[in-house]
Amino acid sequence: MTTPTPPIRIPLTQLAPGRRATVECSALDGLPEDDRCLLTAMGLGERCEVRLCRRGHACIVQVDTTRLGIDEQVAARIMVTPIDDAS
Amino acid sequence: MSDPELATIALVGNPNTGKTTLFNALCGARARTANFPGSTVDHHLGQCTIAGAPLEVIDLPGIYSLALDLPESVLCAECIDGRLGTVPDAVVLVLDATNLVRNLQFASTVLRRGLPCVIALTMTDAARSAGLVLDPSSLARDLGVPVVEASGRTGIGLAALATAAHDIATRQAPPIPAAPCPAAEPGTAACADWAAGVFERAGGRTVRAAADPLTERLDRAFTHPVGGLAAFALTMGLLFTSIFWLASYPMDALDAVFGWLAGLVHDVVPAGLAADLLADGIVGGIGATVVFLPQIALLFFLLALLEDTGYLARAALSLDRTMRRFGLPGQAFLPLLSSHACALPGIMSTRLIPGRRDRLATILCAPFMSCTARIPVYVLLCGLLFAGEPWKAGLAFVGCYALGIVAGLGTAWLLRRTILAGDGRAMVMELPPYRRPSLRSAFHVARDRSQLFLRNAATVILAISVVMWWLSAFPKVEPSRESVALRQVAEASIAAGDEARATELAAAADAMDAQTQARGSFAARVGDLVQPAFEPLGLDRQLTMAVLTSFLAREVFVNTVAIQVQSSDDVADPGTMESMRAATRDDGSPLFAPATCAALLVFYVLAMQCLPTLVLTAREAGGWRWALLQLGWMSSLAWVAGAIAFRLVAA
Repeated sequence: MTTPTPPIRIPLTQLAPGRRATVECSALDGLPEDDRCLLTAMGLGERCEVRLCRRGHACIVQVDTTRLGIDEQVAARIMVTPIDDAS
Repeated sequence: MSDPELATIALVGNPNTGKTTLFNALCGARARTANFPGSTVDHHLGQCTIAGAPLEVIDLPGIYSLALDLPESVLCAECIDGRLGTVPDAVVLVLDATNLVRNLQFASTVLRRGLPCVIALTMTDAARSAGLVLDPSSLARDLGVPVVEASGRTGIGLAALATAAHDIATRQAPPIPAAPCPAAEPGTAACADWAAGVFERAGGRTVRAAADPLTERLDRAFTHPVGGLAAFALTMGLLFTSIFWLASYPMDALDAVFGWLAGLVHDVVPAGLAADLLADGIVGGIGATVVFLPQIALLFFLLALLEDTGYLARAALSLDRTMRRFGLPGQAFLPLLSSHACALPGIMSTRLIPGRRDRLATILCAPFMSCTARIPVYVLLCGLLFAGEPWKAGLAFVGCYALGIVAGLGTAWLLRRTILAGDGRAMVMELPPYRRPSLRSAFHVARDRSQLFLRNAATVILAISVVMWWLSAFPKVEPSRESVALRQVAEASIAAGDEARATELAAAADAMDAQTQARGSFAARVGDLVQPAFEPLGLDRQLTMAVLTSFLAREVFVNTVAIQVQSSDDVADPGTMESMRAATRDDGSPLFAPATCAALLVFYVLAMQCLPTLVLTAREAGGWRWALLQLGWMSSLAWVAGAIAFRLVAA
């Protein structure tokens, strides 16, 4: 019997551009309260699916139909689980 | 603020939902920008008429949540909760059909407040284009409030929305919506699940939004570390060139109109105190400020168009890293660039900056950027400093701009490490979709900003202009013996039939009288009193007075000096430049020694010599203490740097 592999959690900035990922429940906990509340209100909440459009000093992510520009330092503190695009 | 007899509705929603377009379509020209007492965040106030009954409409700023610690969110929460004195009779919740799950989560927090509510479902045409057809009646069942499809751009559903809002706002016992969502906080999994359920029951289906290739390509280009900056430089170059080119015509026309009005006052009103007050104090004072109106209106019109296209958000994102080095956010670049035309629109456009500390730092450093009003002073002083050496004069001119930028960014850096210390808001922003801009919305923005500017000019600036006029016009001084003699010669010339000579002599006598009056006025007495303070900059009594009178507006310096040294005020005239170069002090030494020119040049780059800017800073920063801090800091820096420049050049 094989033990299921735990999902890999990586910072959003390490996701390859064009790849999708799920934002983890506690993914925003490391952020300052203001940034966490703003991101959540903008749609980047727990368990939501995001696609990284552009990586760099300012990351661009797509959440549903909304594109968000996020400072690299903030994006680096958002933990996500990559989604296999075949799924 | 509002009429208690009128039913009032408040428009509330996320940014970029078409809320203000709806407001403009509902209220049209009967709208204005307003502030609740004590708040610096704008909202729009207007009226529309439904079945013969007037309805007051408040367009609150677009927000992501009522619970955020942002001025816009606080204002909306206080307005809805009735803590600002105006309790809306109903709320119109504007929800974007293309982004309904997020919008529904926001809606749940508003519905929890228990106010009568109508939902305006916007962007349904865009949703349909994406294959999404929503059923408003299903949404209404789930949310317990009427739902109306409406578009401010096309006008579809507008009448139905207005009728529904009016109906619910004027009912004796309007239905109060129940809290539909079990979770109080948007963004939580429970709230997202609830919103997804409502969305799916209304016919929506959760699909992975495909990447739009054009949007992807444009975003890559506009946020590229090098390409993005180049695109921004090109866009802003075109923008400001257009403003300088297009605004110059109405500005010249306005200048002529105010000149004509002042002349008319002198022709119609009997010569004396009333004529002088009206022509020089009121018409002259207001005219000096209002002449910038075309620049302001055009700047905001073009900026609104640019913002509507979705480009400005990308530009702010690409500039963020550069500006952060000085403690400013990416959004600060545009106000600082605008300030090179005039600090007034620059300071007004700081409203694009979300964080209060970031915004204050930008307001306080914006007047360091060399505005167009400084140009005549730079031209005069660089010309005097490097007579016959045009390339050196040109280099000094460019140096003035560079010094202003360095001082401004240095000030921002200092502020963010001292009185405005604290982490700036990290850049987190929505990038709205690229779209064709709305001319009507841009027109409304330009009109609102122009009205604000004019209101400012007609109140505080007018009052201070009158005071400044009084200081320079009183006490009345008798004409000098030379002036009286000149007038006698002029009369003799008329008798001899030489009218040209008589006019010339009368003009010379007028200039002499103006000089005599200026020397004997209260302003001059203040000048005499203050002159020792300007001694380290090498200024004598005449130049001190010119600096003091130019406190109202920098460009006045050139006119004051021109009047003092000779009869003409046209410094572009080479003869005038020559006469300024030859002008002497009371002790016979040159008025414009090189060290004095250098000190004055540095002083005018750094000094806050602009009353309208000071008044606007007080308004936009939220208090006179900020304006006084700006005045104190800029004046001190200008004085110290000017004194250093004097010593260096004199050595």
